[in-house]
Amino acid sequence: MVRSKASSKKQQKKGIDFKKIKRKLGRKLPPPKNATNTEIKSKAIVLPEQSVATNKEGLAVSKKGLTLKELLQQTSHHNAKVRRDALMGIKDLVINHPAELRHHRYAVIEKLRERISDDDKVVREALYQLFKSEIFPGCAEDNQGLFISLLMNYIFNAMTNLAIDIRLMAFKFFDLVVQYYPPCFSLYAEKILQSYEDILRKNQFYLEDKGKLKTTLSGLVRCLSLLPSKKPESEKCVSGDRIIHAFEPDTPTANTGFSTIIKKLKELVLVLINCFQDFIPLLNSMPQLDVLSFDCILSMLQSIDIAVRFFIYGIHEETPESICDQTLSSALSKKLLGVFPLYPKHHLSVKEDDRYFILNVVIAAIFLHLRELVCPSTNVFEKFLEFIENALLGTICSSSRSGKATWEKHIPLLLPFIPKLASELETGWQSRILESFTRTFKDCNPESSLKLACLSMIEEMLIPRGYMHFSKASDTVVLDYQTVWIRELPLLLSLLGDKQPSSSQVVLCLLLRLGQFSGSNPFLFGEYENIQFTLSEFYSTCQEGNLYYGPFMRLPRDCQELSICCLYYFSNLNVLLLKSVTFCCLCSELEPFIFFRIIEVLHAAYKAGHIQIADHISFFMTLLSRFKILPENICPVRESDVKVSNHGTFKSLTTMLSSYLSQIGDSSVVFHIVEKAILGLILLQPPLENACAMLRVLIVLDSKPTRLSEQSIIALSNFLPGYLMDVVHCIPEDDVQTWRYYILPCFFMFDRSSKLLKLVLDVIGSFLTDSNLSLPSDTSTRYATDSLSRINATISLLLLIYKDVKVQKIISSFRTEIGSILQSIASLQSSEVKMTLEERHRFQSSVLEKTFSPCEDGGEQPRGRSSFGGNIEKIQGLANSGGNCLSQILQNCNGIFEREKGVQEFVHYITLLEHHVK
Amino acid sequence: MNVVLASSSIEGGIGCWDLQTGAEQLRYKTCASPPHGLASIGCRFLACSQLRDPSAASGHVLYWSWSKPQAQVKSFPAEPIKPLAANSEGSYIVGGGSSGDIYFWEVATGRLLKKWHAHYRAVTCLVFSDDDSLLISGSEDGCVRVWSLFMIFDEVRKQQASHLYEYSFTEHTLRVTDIVMGYGGGNAVIVSASEDRTCKVWSLSRGRLLRNVVFPSIIDAIAIDPGEHVFYAGGRDGKIYIAALNVESSPSNNYGLHIIGSLTDQSKPVTCLAYSAERNLLLSGSEDGMIRVWDVKTKKILRMFRHSKGPVNNILIVRLPYLLSRAEPKVQASSRRNDFSLHPPLEKYANSSDEDMDNKAIITLPDTIDLPSYLSSQLINDHIKQLQQQGSSAAAEMEVKRLKLVGQRSMEMFQQLKKVYDKLQEFCVNELLDGQPIEGSKGN
Repeated sequence: MVRSKASSKKQQKKGIDFKKIKRKLGRKLPPPKNATNTEIKSKAIVLPEQSVATNKEGLAVSKKGLTLKELLQQTSHHNAKVRRDALMGIKDLVINHPAELRHHRYAVIEKLRERISDDDKVVREALYQLFKSEIFPGCAEDNQGLFISLLMNYIFNAMTNLAIDIRLMAFKFFDLVVQYYPPCFSLYAEKILQSYEDILRKNQFYLEDKGKLKTTLSGLVRCLSLLPSKKPESEKCVSGDRIIHAFEPDTPTANTGFSTIIKKLKELVLVLINCFQDFIPLLNSMPQLDVLSFDCILSMLQSIDIAVRFFIYGIHEETPESICDQTLSSALSKKLLGVFPLYPKHHLSVKEDDRYFILNVVIAAIFLHLRELVCPSTNVFEKFLEFIENALLGTICSSSRSGKATWEKHIPLLLPFIPKLASELETGWQSRILESFTRTFKDCNPESSLKLACLSMIEEMLIPRGYMHFSKASDTVVLDYQTVWIRELPLLLSLLGDKQPSSSQVVLCLLLRLGQFSGSNPFLFGEYENIQFTLSEFYSTCQEGNLYYGPFMRLPRDCQELSICCLYYFSNLNVLLLKSVTFCCLCSELEPFIFFRIIEVLHAAYKAGHIQIADHISFFMTLLSRFKILPENICPVRESDVKVSNHGTFKSLTTMLSSYLSQIGDSSVVFHIVEKAILGLILLQPPLENACAMLRVLIVLDSKPTRLSEQSIIALSNFLPGYLMDVVHCIPEDDVQTWRYYILPCFFMFDRSSKLLKLVLDVIGSFLTDSNLSLPSDTSTRYATDSLSRINATISLLLLIYKDVKVQKIISSFRTEIGSILQSIASLQSSEVKMTLEERHRFQSSVLEKTFSPCEDGGEQPRGRSSFGGNIEKIQGLANSGGNCLSQILQNCNGIFEREKGVQEFVHYITLLEHHVK
Repeated sequence: MNVVLASSSIEGGIGCWDLQTGAEQLRYKTCASPPHGLASIGCRFLACSQLRDPSAASGHVLYWSWSKPQAQVKSFPAEPIKPLAANSEGSYIVGGGSSGDIYFWEVATGRLLKKWHAHYRAVTCLVFSDDDSLLISGSEDGCVRVWSLFMIFDEVRKQQASHLYEYSFTEHTLRVTDIVMGYGGGNAVIVSASEDRTCKVWSLSRGRLLRNVVFPSIIDAIAIDPGEHVFYAGGRDGKIYIAALNVESSPSNNYGLHIIGSLTDQSKPVTCLAYSAERNLLLSGSEDGMIRVWDVKTKKILRMFRHSKGPVNNILIVRLPYLLSRAEPKVQASSRRNDFSLHPPLEKYANSSDEDMDNKAIITLPDTIDLPSYLSSQLINDHIKQLQQQGSSAAAEMEVKRLKLVGQRSMEMFQQLKKVYDKLQEFCVNELLDGQPIEGSKGN
């Protein structure tokens, strides 16, 4: 306690000097009242001069919040990591804000180009990726020339850098530039080739790092492939011009600079050859040809190949002979062609075989280009020929699937030489090469590009351009193979079907060219004629009564047109082919355009004397008689049906054929041929439309008075009544245009031959006698089969005849016939006991309808009535008893009968009617 | 006087009408021509190849002088000749054979100067360029080829070159039916029509296709408007389509791209067209034997000529020489006959013996405004000889030409003098009339 007292005293004592302030834990004293508030509060410190760097609102920033300017500054940072990050940042920024790049592209390029020769590998790689993925695609549409020129100096600088890595990277950059802006090669060609040459001379490096060598070489291949060459290129710019008499914009001719680089290129080729030579021992020592070395060698060979092609076919002033001087040709033949063929030392894998095959193909191609300049010994030459033969036969390549694919891909490289080889070699080798070529052509997949390459070679060998390649018919070997090729073409068409229209088009084009050319070569002429038999399958085939359509129907329109054009060039179109084409024409799925094209072309062929007249006319007749009209019945010809129906097509076909037939030659001769054919067909009772078309053709060719023979008039008189009644039966009364179309040809015939009209009237009369009517199976009409409709049809027909002024005139001389028809109608009614009441009613009302309508436009009604004289009472009586309807009938009939002066018959008729009504 | 000449494929002679008045002139007899078979040889006389039946081994070409209806000279070339063409001066005739050969004859001597294999199939039409240096041929195999006559006659270059032709256009798939050429010599455009329903416009300078116009029917005849704004294409459907060469047309069109409109009247196919630049008239011949004269501005028919029942297949518009267009005095006619008979028939085969020595062409210097004319040196030598002997046809012709010029000049002089005299008289009369009132006033 004491102690505590003491301590407390002490404390108290202390407290005098140092006043102890008692504090309670967890509680603060309130501040003294006089205390000054020293706290400084601020929301933000505003420093104007630093705001640009820090306030980035509204500015494009990268993920790390840096602007483009900052990033660009950082690209020249001394720390490689920062530099790389900056590049990544730029990439990031550009992806998110593409506009940023567009606005500042020159600034960006100017800064970034310094990094091309960056010491750090990672930075260079990042830069490369940046350029590749963002900057070049982003600036594609700009003024690239300026853009590229900014870069090029730095790239060249880097190419001469001491560090080999930087140099390689520079090549990679250059490759990228060339990809996006191909003309840049021609601008800097000499410098670039020099650089490539320099780097390839450093032979120690490529043996070490093949990956890099590979990229460099592939860049070289790309550059060299830009060299201009005058090999025929397919220029397809048809009808692109909007205005014909316009100035062409001046396009910079990129070819100007290339003549100067030949020397450089030659040196480069020598270096490449050395390079290749260095590789050979390496290959032999290696157990296996790995992918990298294979790619390197392939690129070297391809570069040499391109350079050689440029020497020979390129656009420059020097002749190939002057370029391929002693040094070059000896180097080529010794170091390159001497080691041919390359073959694996240790036979290990199938893949390796294929790789060697590819290399050998390229070497062979180089050799074939150089053949005339190098003048190889027969030994060497035969070695190559043997290789080509085996390559074409496919015996070198492995039979695995990948082997087959490589074969298909690389064989086209050798094909362009075949025509030349075949024309120059002596017979033994010629037949071997042609045989193997033919085998290749036959064996390869019809849809492959190899097939197309073969086809173009065949075209070259069949149809010489300018020069005659082959000494003419004496060359039996070639002729044999030509035969094989030509015969293969139609088969190929069938094989292709409609799977690949583009290939079919190529084949058809070849056929067409062949046809055009065949006129001047008797051998080809014969062969082309023979194609017809196989070609008919392309259109359609008929087997055991069944019709099979060939690929023709399913191909697109331009192929169809081409194939039609081929028909024109057969100097004697045979019946089989014509038949199969006709079947296609008759198919309802054929487009009308193609349908008319076929007719047009065949007629042109006829005019050129390529089709027999009999065949041609029977072709026309077949079309007329067998063309199927959809929908089948003629009645509902409404606007809505126009799409499905092909009436329009058929109508224009009719006019077309009749005009063609009238052009054929002397019309009376043609008429006699056609008359026979048409009458034969017409008696078979074709559908109304077809019959109408045939009649129309007949009247176009006929003249007034008719040229029809006695027999045909009789035949027609048996046919026409049924036809007329059917037409009247099927077409509604109000459709004046349609019935005019169908009936007018008959009227023309009546006009030209009154005898025909008399006979027809007789036949109509005989239809109405009892005995004929009772036979339901009478086949002279198709539609109006029952007696009721027949009577109806007769009445409307007579009315129609009376409406036509011209025929009315003629018919006035056949009063007796008309009278007898009316008589028989009348008597039919009186004697008709079988008719039920209902039928009778229907009959009468239909008579009413028929007769009612045509009189509305007849102006002579009052006159008729007034002249009716004494019978008026009877009519009135009838009208009273039968009601209004009958009186109207009578009024309507009035006009007719008055004109006929056949009052007696009329009265008789009326009495009968009266009797019935009662 | 501008006359319209028309011939047909069936015997109907060559009809001849005055374009201005429509009066029918002399009808030249016995002629059945193939399309493009009628040619006027430098406006001096008419030549027409004849259709023969297919079995005939040789061709048949007839000449008519303007004044006589009967054919005056008959030639029988080695094979059937269909199209004929002559250069603007009328010094050469070119014929296209049915085997695809082209024959090149000199009119004055009848010599076959050149014959070359031009096409794989029969030649269907031949056209000379304005300056007569290019020949354009179309063929049944769908090929249009452009030949430079310099190349044809240059043996050295011929051997070096891989082909004779300048261009070979193979885009047509069927027979070429007609070719026309625009203005501008080597820079012109040519238009070709074919049975494949297209007309194609080619550039001669660039040697490529400029435009492809697809028509609704086969085009058998084309004519180009002198301004080269449009060309007219006569179709087998009886319409004459107007296709644009220079203006752009909207693709949503009744007929198709580039086709602006049509002239229609007839249902029968149009077989030939000719354009008269003088009065902007288009002449169309048709299958029904009529020749229609259209005003292209109003698209109306101004006049119709009836040729025959059969199809018309050639129309020519020829400016007849002044002397011939009126009735000639008898003496002149007889002298003309003499001079005309000097044109020998065309030779069948090239005469190889004199070919090597005398096949050089001589260019006569353009004396006035005429274009340079090319004549073979042999012909020139002949002319010189005749001139020395005095009294040959060529000499007479030259003399006539000179006299004509003199006559023309004196006419001009006369006109001028007359004008001066008239003025003088007028002046005097005025003076007299004016003088009197003055005197009168003075008197007052």
